[in-house]
Amino acid sequence: MLHGALEGVKVLDLSEDIAGSFCARLLADYGADVLKVEPPAGAALRRMGPFFHDDPHPDKSLFYLVLNLNKKGATLNLETVTGQNILKRLAPHIDVIVESYRPGYLASLGLGYEELAALNPALTMTSITPFGQEGPYSQYRGEEIVNYAMGMIMSISGVQGREPLKHGGFQAQYEGGLFAAAATSMALFGSEFTGQGEHIDVSITECIASTMMATQTMYPFTGGTQVRRRASGSMFGHPMPCEDGWIIVQTGGGASWEDLAEFFQCPEMLEERFADRAQRAVNGEELDRIVIESIKERSKWELFPKAAEYRMLFGLVQTPSELVDCPQLESRNFFREIEHPVMGKVKVPAELFKLSETPYRLERSAPTLGQDNREIYVDGLEFDEQQYTRLRQLNVI
Amino acid sequence: MPRLPLEGIRILDSTYVFALPYAGGHLADLGAEVIKIEGPGRPDVTRTGGYAGSFPENQAGEEWWNKPSTYNLLNRGKKSLVLDMGDERGRDLFREMVAVSDVVMENFTPRVMRRWELDYPNLRKIKPDIILVSNTGYGHGDGPYSGYPAQATTQEATHGHCWVTGYLDDGPAKAGASFVDFLSTWSAIFALGAALRYRNRTGKGQWIDIAMYQAGVMFLSEYLMDASINGREGGRMGNRHPYRAPQGCYPALGKDQWITLSVGSDEEWQALCGLMGREELATDKQFADILSRRRNHDELDEIIAEWTATTDKFDLMHLIQGAGIPSGPVMTGRDIHFDPHYKHRGFLERVDFPEERGVGSRFLMGRPYKYSNTPMSIKGPGPKFGQNNEEMLKELLALDETTYQALLDETIITTTPTSGEPSPQMEPKRAVELGLLGDYDPDYLQKLGLV
Repeated sequence: MLHGALEGVKVLDLSEDIAGSFCARLLADYGADVLKVEPPAGAALRRMGPFFHDDPHPDKSLFYLVLNLNKKGATLNLETVTGQNILKRLAPHIDVIVESYRPGYLASLGLGYEELAALNPALTMTSITPFGQEGPYSQYRGEEIVNYAMGMIMSISGVQGREPLKHGGFQAQYEGGLFAAAATSMALFGSEFTGQGEHIDVSITECIASTMMATQTMYPFTGGTQVRRRASGSMFGHPMPCEDGWIIVQTGGGASWEDLAEFFQCPEMLEERFADRAQRAVNGEELDRIVIESIKERSKWELFPKAAEYRMLFGLVQTPSELVDCPQLESRNFFREIEHPVMGKVKVPAELFKLSETPYRLERSAPTLGQDNREIYVDGLEFDEQQYTRLRQLNVI
Repeated sequence: MPRLPLEGIRILDSTYVFALPYAGGHLADLGAEVIKIEGPGRPDVTRTGGYAGSFPENQAGEEWWNKPSTYNLLNRGKKSLVLDMGDERGRDLFREMVAVSDVVMENFTPRVMRRWELDYPNLRKIKPDIILVSNTGYGHGDGPYSGYPAQATTQEATHGHCWVTGYLDDGPAKAGASFVDFLSTWSAIFALGAALRYRNRTGKGQWIDIAMYQAGVMFLSEYLMDASINGREGGRMGNRHPYRAPQGCYPALGKDQWITLSVGSDEEWQALCGLMGREELATDKQFADILSRRRNHDELDEIIAEWTATTDKFDLMHLIQGAGIPSGPVMTGRDIHFDPHYKHRGFLERVDFPEERGVGSRFLMGRPYKYSNTPMSIKGPGPKFGQNNEEMLKELLALDETTYQALLDETIITTTPTSGEPSPQMEPKRAVELGLLGDYDPDYLQKLGLV
C-alpha cells in the first residue's frame, strides 16, 4: 500500500535557492523521501527573509520554511574529500538529486552526473540554473529580473513610454522549480521501463520564455514583434480602483456588453460611441472615466459575487492577508498548520493540487540546520560515535 | 531511438484555451498519443477569436482554423477527433474512447462533467484505472467561488499577483502574459507523471484536481507567511529587489531597447562603478552599502541610465556579466530567433507543416528542459480539425461505414467547424503606427531561412 504517489522515491536536495528547494518540496509533498543536504553554514535561503518576527536567525527564515516542508535535513561539506566520499556512498541508494549550482560546479568536485551515474545508472539529476547547463551564456549569473528580461516577458509587461516591468515576487524561481518537478516526475515514470536515469537540464529563462506563446510565434508567422500596452486607452483587462481597492474586468465570458452596463449601473455604456470593440478602443479614456466613477463607492467584495451572477470574467486585487483568510482556499484545505521546533505553530501554504487516491500530506516541518545528521550518519551510514564527532570537528557536517 | 517516457500512453485531451492544451502538447513531445477532442460548434478558441495568435503572413485564408500560431504551438504533435459532447451519441463515443485510454484531461467548469455523467466516479466505471486530470479556475468542491467563471487575466488580480506587481508610483498591474495558465500546465505534467508511476506500481488510477487560483497563490508563499506571521502586506517594488541594489531596467542604444542589471554586494557595486568610469561613486558615502544604495536608488537609476543609453543591450550584457554582475537584455519575440544562446540550446524547433496545410515551415518553442539520455522534439504541428476522425472511430472503435456516415450527416462529427470566426488581422505597418505592435520585419521569412 503506497500512501504517496511518489512513495519510495529517494531524493537528495542539494539546492540552496528558491527554485531547487521548491522542486524538491513538491516531490516531498506527493510522497518522495527528501533529504535536504546543506553546507555546514546552511543553505543560502536560510539567510533570506521574511523572517519569523523579523529575527534573522537561520532557523527562522519563513522563506526557507515554506520551501522545505516535508523534508529531513542534514549538513555536508561537499568541498571536503570526506564530504565528497559520503555523497558517493549515498549515490547508489538514491533516485534523484536536485541541485542548482552554477553549471560545472559539482563536476569540479567529482560529483557531476556522469561520475554519480557511473555508481548508479538509475540516478536522475535535476539541475536548475538561470540559462541551462550549456550554451554561451551558461556561466552568466542570473537574477529574477534577468530571467524575466531574457525570457521575453518584460518586453510586453508595463506600458509604452516607460521601462519594461518585472513581475512581483520570485515567480521565475517558482516556475523553474515547478517545471523541474514536472520534468523529474516524467523521467521517474520513464525509468520504470528503462531502469535508466537522466541528467535533466532546466533553464529558468526558458521556463519563462516557454509561456510566451503569442509573443514568440508572432515573429515566424508574421514578422511582427509584440510590445507593451499603450499608456492610454481602456482599462478593461487591467486593475481599476473602487472604494476599497481594485477590481479587474475582462469582456467576453458569459456576459454581454449589455450585462456589463447593467452590472456597472452605467446606461451610458450602451451609447453608440461604445458600441463595439473598435469604438471602445478609440473612446477608451471616456469609457474608463464612466466605469471608474460608477464603482467609486462600491466595494470589491460586493462586486465580486455579483459579477459571478452575471457570468462575468471578474477579479479583485487581493492582498496577502486577504489570501490568508480566503474562504475558497479554506474550502480547498490549502493552508495547514505545522509545529516548528523553533517557531512553534505556524500556518503554511501547503497543497498545490488534489490527488484523490494519494492525497497531499504535511508530515514534517522544514528541518532545522543539521537536524537529522545523527539519523543519516550514525543510524544510516553506520559511522561510530568517534567518527561522527570527527566529522563535526572537521567541519564536514 | 531511446524510449520516450510516455510511449504507449493514450490521452484523451478534451481541453480548451491555454493551460491544459499546452500540457497535452508537452505530453506529446514526451511520447504520448494525445487525442484532442473538440465539438463541431466548439473549435478551440486558439483556432478562432482573440486567443489565436497570428495567421501565416497575416492571412487567414482557406481552412483558417488549422493555421493559427498559438493553436499549433500548444497542440503540437496531437491527433484530432471532433465529437459533439452535447449529444448523447457523442458522449457514448467518448465513453468508448475512455475504455481504451489511459488518461482523460478536461477543463470544463465543475458542473459540466457531472451533468454529462463523465466525472471521475463515472469514468472509473468505464475504465477502473483511468487517470483524470481536471483544471478549473477555483477548483472542485463546495467552496464559495468554485462555480465562478475564471480566466487568467482576472485571476492574476484575485490570486494576489497584481498586488505585488506594478510601477512604484502607480497602482497594481497585470503582468504581460497569461501567466497563471502555465502554472496549471506544469502542475498537470508533474501530477500526471506521479500518478502514472503510482498506477504502474498499484494498478490504480486517480483524479488530479488542479485549481489555477490555488497555484497562483502558492507562488506568493513568502508573502503569505510574512502576512500571517508578521502582519505585513508586502506590495509593489517596481523593478527593484528586497535585498539587492541597485537593480533595474535601463534604456540601451536604439528605439525601445532595454538592459537589466542587479547588484548584490559592495564588490559588485565597485565593479559597476569601474565599468561606468565613475570610480568616485564607489567610495561615495551615499552609495557605499546596500542600505544607502536603496535609500538613494532614484539617483542611482539616473546615473546608470545615462551610462547604458549609448550602448547596445547585448554588448552591455557581456560587459556587465564579464564583471560578475547579473545582467541581461530585455529580449523581444524577434530577438530570441537570432540569439546565439537560444540557438545553441535548440530551444526553437523548425516544424514543417504538410504542404496541403499552406503554412510552410515555422519555428515553435520546444521545451525548457532537456534529458541527457532521451532527446525529444516536437512531433509535428497541431492537427487539422477532425484530422483523425476516421482513424479513431473506424479503426480504433471499429465503427462500420454506415454508422460513421450517419454521424457525419448529423454533424456529431465533422472536419469543418460549424461556428467561429477568424480573429480580425490588422495590416502590420498600420499596427506599428497605432502602437499595437512594436516592430515589423517584412523579410522575416528570409531572415529565418524559411524560404
